Amino acid sequence: MGYKWDLSVVVRFLPVLLQGAALTIQLTCIAVGMGILIGTFVGIGRVSKNKLLYTLSSIYVTFIRGTPMLVQLYLVYFGLPAYFGTIPPRMAAIITLSVNSGAYVAEIVRAGIQSIDRGQLEAARSLGMTYSQAMRYVLIPQTFKRIIPPLGNEFIALLKDSSIVSVIALEELVRKGSMIAGRTFRAFEIWTAVALLFLCMTLPITQLVNYAERWLKQND
Amino acid sequence: MIKVVDLQKRFGTLRVLNGITNEVREGEVVCVIGPSGSGKSTFLRCLNLLEIPDGGQIYFDGVEITDLKKVDINQIRAEMGMVFQRFNLFPHMNVVENICLAPLKVRKCSREEAEARAYDLLRKVGLQEKALAYPDTLSGGQQQRVAIARALAMQPKVMLFDEPTSALDPEMIKEVLDVMKELAKEGLTMVVVTHEMGFAREVADRVLFMDEGLIIEENTPDQLFNSPQHERTKLFLSKIL
Ligand SMILES: Nc1ncnc2c1ncn2[C@@H]1O[C@H](COP(=O)(O)OP(=O)(O)O)[C@@H](O)[C@H]1O
Ligand SMILES: [Mg+2]
Repeated sequence: MGYKWDLSVVVRFLPVLLQGAALTIQLTCIAVGMGILIGTFVGIGRVSKNKLLYTLSSIYVTFIRGTPMLVQLYLVYFGLPAYFGTIPPRMAAIITLSVNSGAYVAEIVRAGIQSIDRGQLEAARSLGMTYSQAMRYVLIPQTFKRIIPPLGNEFIALLKDSSIVSVIALEELVRKGSMIAGRTFRAFEIWTAVALLFLCMTLPITQLVNYAERWLKQND
Repeated sequence: MIKVVDLQKRFGTLRVLNGITNEVREGEVVCVIGPSGSGKSTFLRCLNLLEIPDGGQIYFDGVEITDLKKVDINQIRAEMGMVFQRFNLFPHMNVVENICLAPLKVRKCSREEAEARAYDLLRKVGLQEKALAYPDTLSGGQQQRVAIARALAMQPKVMLFDEPTSALDPEMIKEVLDVMKELAKEGLTMVVVTHEMGFAREVADRVLFMDEGLIIEENTPDQLFNSPQHERTKLFLSKIL
């Protein structure tokens, strides 16, 4: 009841929070970039007639989407060292986020490819193109446009979920907030500031996604 | 040129082709007519192996192409052009790119050669001024003419048309049929599934009437249209003529 807001704490520690936000953005960008790379190949595997490719990519997607990211992070950070020696937290975070994102992007890519009219593949094949040529020159280029909005959403989701790496002491935005809140006993102010910073990052992307969706609707 | 022996095709338990035997000779124009669902499209798509037959043989230039282990399916398809009811142009490419893609990637032509031929073909189908247009800016008739040019760019030995005018507004049908008549006049081997009886009458050397996965009757257009032998042919013709 008698709680008085002290915004000076926020002002004082804003640079530190911004540092954390920068790491959050950095991790997310790297992870989504890697995720797009992984997801493109895995997504193609998911529509492949090759049994091995299909099975492997399906297992990967099912495993990642069916288990908590926290468990995946622990597996990488605490589990993998059994084989590879200690992994720096930053590396573990990037691996986990990328591999995680890859599975979600794979599903986006799969849905994108499957949304293309069957006639496109048939036309390409009827001209003598191989399946891979048809994929490469005809189907995949057409999916680019369509997967922009869902990729934007994946970026937002990962931006928020990346806070999970705070548990292995990576000083991204949430970890910074936690540290400052603990030190200053100004939890309400600090966590409000952290939330607003997340909004500042996600809102522009949401806007872009909405804009892209409208643009696509007009151009499809 | 194409010989078909006892061709069979099922989709699950549905028997769509029940033993089709026929031969298309070089330079011949064969029209295929018949009620919807009788297997005309499936027959055509078996010819270039877009559908893999369940039984029987197809010979193309004397080679059995249904023996999938021995033949290169892509090489065979490159020799057979196909035109679809719904055009299926590649929407992310302009007209010239649509036409050049397969010659470049499949035939490994040089770009100059591919483009020169593309412009020749566009002139032939009357669309040279649309070379740089994207498919969605073209009318249906224009798109279908581009699709014909795209198929011709591979210099196929035979062209397969699956109801090329059924998705078109009436006023655009003629421009597409005119292009096809021109091709027939030049002696191109063509198999055309169509409901355009006027076209079949004028251009076809032979008309096949299909029903329930079989060729019920075949004859010259004059004979088939004027004195059909089979009850089912008569019934079908009475409905559409
Ligand atoms: N890919 C497919 N899967 C299942 N059934 C199909 C498929 N293609 C065609 N059919 C069925 O086969 C029958 C013949 O189809 P089709 O060859 O397209 O006939 P037509 O071209 O003479 O109208 C129809 O009953 C159709 O529903
Ligand atoms: Mg049909």
